[in-house]
Amino acid sequence: MKFGLFYELQLPKPAGQPQWDPEDEHKIYHDMLDQVELADSLGFDYVFEVEHHFLEEYSHSSAPEMMMAALSQRTKNIRLGHGIVLMPPGYNHPARVAERISALDLLSNGRVEFGTGESASTMEMGGFEVAREQKKAMWEECTREAANMMVQTPYQGFQGQFFSMPPRNVIPKPQQNPHPPLWVAASRRETTMLAARFGMGSLGFGFETPEELAERTNEYYRIIREECYPIGHAINPGLAVLTTFMMGQTDQEALERSANGPAFFSHSLGYYYNPITGGKHQPGEKNIYDSFLESNKKQNTLSAKTGFVKEEDIRKDEPEEEVQRALYRAARTGTAVGTVDRVREMLLTYEENNLDVMIFVAQCGDRKHEHIMESIELFGKEILPEFKERHETKHKAWREEQLSTVEFPINSSI
Amino acid sequence: MARPEQVQDEQLREFFVDAQASMRTGKANEAVESVVSALFRLLELKPELTTEELEPRPGWKMPFLTRWPQLGANFVEGSLAKHEPEIEFVKENFALSEAITYYEFTIETAIKRGV
Repeated sequence: MKFGLFYELQLPKPAGQPQWDPEDEHKIYHDMLDQVELADSLGFDYVFEVEHHFLEEYSHSSAPEMMMAALSQRTKNIRLGHGIVLMPPGYNHPARVAERISALDLLSNGRVEFGTGESASTMEMGGFEVAREQKKAMWEECTREAANMMVQTPYQGFQGQFFSMPPRNVIPKPQQNPHPPLWVAASRRETTMLAARFGMGSLGFGFETPEELAERTNEYYRIIREECYPIGHAINPGLAVLTTFMMGQTDQEALERSANGPAFFSHSLGYYYNPITGGKHQPGEKNIYDSFLESNKKQNTLSAKTGFVKEEDIRKDEPEEEVQRALYRAARTGTAVGTVDRVREMLLTYEENNLDVMIFVAQCGDRKHEHIMESIELFGKEILPEFKERHETKHKAWREEQLSTVEFPINSSI
Repeated sequence: MARPEQVQDEQLREFFVDAQASMRTGKANEAVESVVSALFRLLELKPELTTEELEPRPGWKMPFLTRWPQLGANFVEGSLAKHEPEIEFVKENFALSEAITYYEFTIETAIKRGV
């Protein structure tokens, strides 16, 4: 199992204030540079950063390509993942995506992971006039063509449903051959299986449990072997899942440091993705962090509880609906949160179920930069080395077995 | 695992086999049509799905069938509330990714219900 960090660049407004302090955005951008630089030096494998627009407090990461370019010069080995690029052409013309991905791949000496997706928030789709019922079709058309642009010399041109362009040589071409590994954001099971059929890695944003992972892994790799029709020119077999992450010398310290981070992550995500609340958001005015604190006072929610909750109690209260369940799990306190022993034990359950990549949500809510740095350091020194060793000796052998009958070219960093 | 071979009802299984064949050859529209037929066969076999509800949050209930992806083969507004699901095609052409999404949702639902 490999490990990564995940960034939304969350920035809750200070409680009771209508706006942020003047240096707040500057600080989270530079904090992220420091955190990823440290993670790289300790051997973390990936950083993934989202692209979101207008989602105040939830995500201030609207231009991840800029951050990735900066990171390419401050890090040596860590893979630079878009998690994800919004592919409908209203957000990004596919030729511009291909150019940026290739340029970053050259700058980083071939370290780019090309994550793709479409987003579903009313604020974003409305802001860029992307039609909800067409966004998946747009994603497919533009992802396929962006991959073609990175490979064809010259790109042969395209007359499509959502964009058209004449033959042009889209340059530069990427360092990786034929193109960087392709991923798709998958918050539902259906999309993980779509990823398999298209030969893409699945960036699981559903906070899946080890049991769910076992079922999905089996089915995902079966489809890769038996029913794959690649969207790109090389496949990237791989399953990644997110989990919240904060470590401490004691469980109590980790919990206190974890604070409201995951709960705010879930609250603000739910706020923007619920068409009712997200659709009525008044730009520049609302303080979502205040409403989050208010909601925590009123409800005895899991997110408001302190201390670890027994796994059976968590499952008992889980919502049945998949997206709501992901939000519920995102708010949990007891995932990769705790001491070295607790976090190692939790990660072993995923390793046993053959997870390829675990991605940590460390930067979220009102967590402190220094606590995130200490957690990265503790994990990197105390836990990461043993997992790295088993990845090389055991997991790679397992993957070879899974993929032994696959005839498509593979470009994967796993 | 969610494969057509696991579907017990012969007619339902055939719809999934047809959808799979269409997807393999890139015929997304035909695949969506087969999956919609599969959905209605599934509702014949398991009519309780039309009244089944999910409770995403305490006190907030929604019909299970609202999980059906709204990608262009949508339920007619109000038809779920009346427990008489009806599909309308709001666009002419579907992408393969949309067909796959409909397929995966429907076959997983069928297999979980043991039909």
